[in-house]
Amino acid sequence: MTEGKGVGGIDTRATPGSAGAGLSAPQLGGPAAGPADGELEAPLRGKRMTVNLGPSHPATHGVTRLVVELDGENIEAMKIDIGYLHRGFEKSCENGTWTQVFPYTDRLNYVSSIMNNVGFALGVEKLCRLDIPDRAKYLRVITSEVHRICDHLTLVGAMGMELGAMTVFLYAIEARDLIYDRLAELVGARLTSNYARIGGVARDVPEGWIEKMTKTLDRTRDLVDEIDALLARNRIFIDRTRGTGKVSRELACELGFTGPCLRAAGEPYDIRKAAPYLVYDRLDFDIPVGSNGDNFDRYLMRIEEMRQSDKIIRQCFAQMEPGDIIVRDFRYALPPKPLVYGTIEGLMAHFKLVMEGIKVPAGEVYSYTEAANGELGFYIVSDGGGRPYKLGLRAPGWPMVAGLPYMLKGSLLADLIPTYDSINMIGGEVEQ
Amino acid sequence: MNRFVGMLLFFAGVVAGLIALSAGFYWVAGWLGWGFNALANAISGTPGVVSPGAISFGASVANIVTLLLVLVMTSGALLTTAERKWSAMMQNRIGANRIKVFGSALGGVPFLAADALKMLTKESVEPRGRTRLLYQLAPALAFAPVFALFAIVPVGMDLDPSQIPGLASRIASGVVQPIGLQIARLDAGLLYLFAISSLAVYGTSLAGWASNNKLALLGGVRASSQMISYEVSLGLSLVGSMIAYRSLQLNEIVVAQGQSVFGGIPAVGILLQPVGFLVFFASAFAETKRAPFDLPEGESEIVGYFIEYSGMKFGLMFLAEFVEVAVLSGILTAVFLGGWHPYLFEGWLQANLSPFWFAAVGAGAFIFKMTLMMWLQFTVRWLLPRFRFDQIQKLCWKILLPAALVNVFVTALVLLLDPSMQLLAVVGAVTIVAIAAITVAVGRAPAPEAGHGAAHVVAGH
Repeated sequence: MTEGKGVGGIDTRATPGSAGAGLSAPQLGGPAAGPADGELEAPLRGKRMTVNLGPSHPATHGVTRLVVELDGENIEAMKIDIGYLHRGFEKSCENGTWTQVFPYTDRLNYVSSIMNNVGFALGVEKLCRLDIPDRAKYLRVITSEVHRICDHLTLVGAMGMELGAMTVFLYAIEARDLIYDRLAELVGARLTSNYARIGGVARDVPEGWIEKMTKTLDRTRDLVDEIDALLARNRIFIDRTRGTGKVSRELACELGFTGPCLRAAGEPYDIRKAAPYLVYDRLDFDIPVGSNGDNFDRYLMRIEEMRQSDKIIRQCFAQMEPGDIIVRDFRYALPPKPLVYGTIEGLMAHFKLVMEGIKVPAGEVYSYTEAANGELGFYIVSDGGGRPYKLGLRAPGWPMVAGLPYMLKGSLLADLIPTYDSINMIGGEVEQ
Repeated sequence: MNRFVGMLLFFAGVVAGLIALSAGFYWVAGWLGWGFNALANAISGTPGVVSPGAISFGASVANIVTLLLVLVMTSGALLTTAERKWSAMMQNRIGANRIKVFGSALGGVPFLAADALKMLTKESVEPRGRTRLLYQLAPALAFAPVFALFAIVPVGMDLDPSQIPGLASRIASGVVQPIGLQIARLDAGLLYLFAISSLAVYGTSLAGWASNNKLALLGGVRASSQMISYEVSLGLSLVGSMIAYRSLQLNEIVVAQGQSVFGGIPAVGILLQPVGFLVFFASAFAETKRAPFDLPEGESEIVGYFIEYSGMKFGLMFLAEFVEVAVLSGILTAVFLGGWHPYLFEGWLQANLSPFWFAAVGAGAFIFKMTLMMWLQFTVRWLLPRFRFDQIQKLCWKILLPAALVNVFVTALVLLLDPSMQLLAVVGAVTIVAIAAITVAVGRAPAPEAGHGAAHVVAGH
C-alpha cells in the first residue's frame, strides 16, 4: 500500500470524513502480496475500472454511494460515501424538549423504531433515576422484540431478493405486514411507531390484542420456517453466502462490531445478557452465536434471533400483570385529562410539561441497549433544563458499514451484495 | 368439489382451444397453399393444374405467419403476463389485475396492451458517447436469432393437404407432398440450432459494449462469457439424442420417438436421455439469461447490459428473453418430450379420428407440453437465487460438460451393444431412478453444517 492511502487503498483525503479516512491500510488474510517474484518478470498490468454503485442503486437500499475499484470483477479497493440521508439528528434534538426527541429517534432505524424509543427513554430515565412500572417494562420488551423480528425479517427478505430469490422477500413482507398491522393497532402508526415515553409507554394494549398478536406470531413463525427452508437448504444461497464477507472475531472486536454481526463472528456478547435492562433478566432466552463470521452465519443469527424473540414475547405475555403503564409522577408523565381539566395542580403540571418540558437533573449519562443491529448508545448531557444540552448517538450499524472495505477486499463484485445486505445498513441511523 | 370440477372444465377448455388453434394452423397452411396454386395457375395461364411446388411454398408462408407470428409471438407476449400471474401464485399475491375490461381483469391479459403501449410511447433516451450503429443494432441482434430458432421446430405432424376440410374435392390424395407445421425442414436440423443460438450472444455483448456505460459493459462481458460457455454443454447434451435417433432433423427425431420399446412404453427422449435432458434444460436456462442464471442482468448488482436502453429498444431485449423461453421450450418438447405425439390414447385417437383432427390433436399436445415446459422454467426462475460469476462457470465446465460428455459415450456404447434402443431405455430408467433417489436422500439429510456450527445457542454468561 502506498503512502497516503486510506482503507482499501483509495485516497480518502479527497473526500474527508469518508469511512476509514486517516487510518492505515488494513492487514487482511495474512501477509500482503509482494511485488512480482522474479526481477525480470514484467507482468502486464490490467487497467482498473472504477465503478460507482449508487447513490441511487438497487443494492443500496437507501442512498449510499459505494465507489468500487475493479480488476475484472474483483474488488481491489472500495470507498463508502455516506451522508445522503443526513438530517442533523443530534443537533435537532437540542432544539426540542425531551419528549419531542422521541419522533426523531423513530427515524433512526426506521425498520425498528420502538427500539430507538426505548433506548432513548432508558437513557433519560437513568439520568432522572426513575424506575418505571413493571407493566411498562414488559410492554417495552414486547414491542422491542416485535420490532426486532420486523427488522430481521426485512434483512432476510432483502438479502433473498437481492440474491435473486424474490419469493423469499414477499414471504418476509407478508409476515412484516401482519406485524405492522398489530403495531398500528397498538401505536397508531405502521412505520414510525412511537411508543415509549419518559417514565413508561404511551398506551396500554387494546382489548384482544394479545390473542391477535399471538396468532400473528404463529403465522410469522411458520413463514420464518418456510423462508429458512427455502434459503438455508438452498445450494445456490449457501454457495453465495458461505465464506463471503468474512470477518474474524478479532477484527470484528477491533472494528467495534456489535449485535448479530459480532455474534456471527463467534463473540457471545449481547447486552440483554451482559447488562440486562428492563425485564430481560426475568426471561428465559438464548443468544445464538456463529463461528465463521461470514454472510451465512450472519443470516443464521437473524433467523435464530427471530425465534428467540418469539419466545421472549410469549413469555412476556404470560408474565405480564395488569397495572400502571407510566409513572404517576407528574413531573415526568402527563396527568390524565380529568385532572387537567378538574384540578389546578393537574393543569399546571400539564402546562409545565408541554411548554417547558421535563426537567431532567443536570449530568451526563451513556445508556446502551441491544437494538436489532447491535449496541444502540445514547450519550445524553443535561444542564437541568427542559431540553437536552447535548445528545450523542452510537449508531449500531456504523462500525459495520465502516468495516465493509475490510470485509470485501479481494472478493468478487457479486459478493458485495450479500455482504452489504447482511450487515443491514440502515441509512437513517448510520447517517443520523 | 365445485372448484375441482371447474378446474377440470377449465383444463378441458384449454386443451380444446389448443386443438382448435392447431386445426386452424393446418387449415390456413392448406388453403394458403391452394391459394398460391391458384395464383400460379392464373399467372401461367394453366387453370386446373395442381402444382406441388406452389402448394408447399404457400404452406411454408402460412407456417411463418401462424407459427412465428401467432404461436411464438403470442406465447412470448403472454409470458410477460404469465410471469406476473404465476409468480403471484407462488408468492401468495393476486398479481396484475388493475386493468379491467367491463369489470373483469381477464387474468391480467389486458396488461399486454398496456405494456406494449407504454414501451412504444416512451421517450427513447440515448447515452452520449455510444457507438451509434452498434447501439441501434443490438436489440435487433438480440431478438432476431431467438426468433429464427423456431424455424426448425416441428409443431405438428405431416398431413396430406387433401385431408384438410374443403380441399378434398380440389386435390387428389397422394398427389402433392404432405405439409407439416414446420417452417423449414433442414437436413442440418440441430446444427442450425447450434449456429443460430450462438448468434444471440452478439446482441447482448454489443449492447453492453456500445452503450458507453461501465455497468452495461460488465453485463455484456458476463453475458458473452456465460453464453459461450453454455453453448458447449448445450451442444453436447443433444449429441446423445442425435446418436439414439440417428438423425439431425427434428421432425425425424420426433417420429422416432413414436416407436415403442418394451411393448407400450414409447422411446421418448426423456427416458432414453435423462442426463441429456437435464444438461440441456440447465444450459437452455443459461442461454435465456434468466434467474438463477441472470448474471448479465443481475438487477441488484450491475443492473444489466440493457441499462442504457429505453422504450421499445429495451422492450425488444425484454421480449427476446420471453421468446427465448418459448422457443427453447419448443425444442425441449421436440427432442425430449416426444414432440407432437399425444401418447395418451394415441392408438385409439389415430384409429377413430380423421387424419386432419388427429394431426390437430398432435399439434395441440405439442403446444400443451411446450406450455408445461415454460411453466417449469418460470417456477425455477422464481424459486432460486442467482449464481455468482465463478460458480456459474464451475457449474458449466466442471459438472454439466463432463456429464454431457459421459452421456455421449455411454449412449454410443449402449447403442453399439443393442441397436434396438431397449438397453438404452433400461439405462435411462436406471438413471432416472438413481437421480430421484439421490435427490430424495439429499433432500431429507440434515442441513449441511460442517465447520460452521452456526447458530448454536449459547446460554447467557
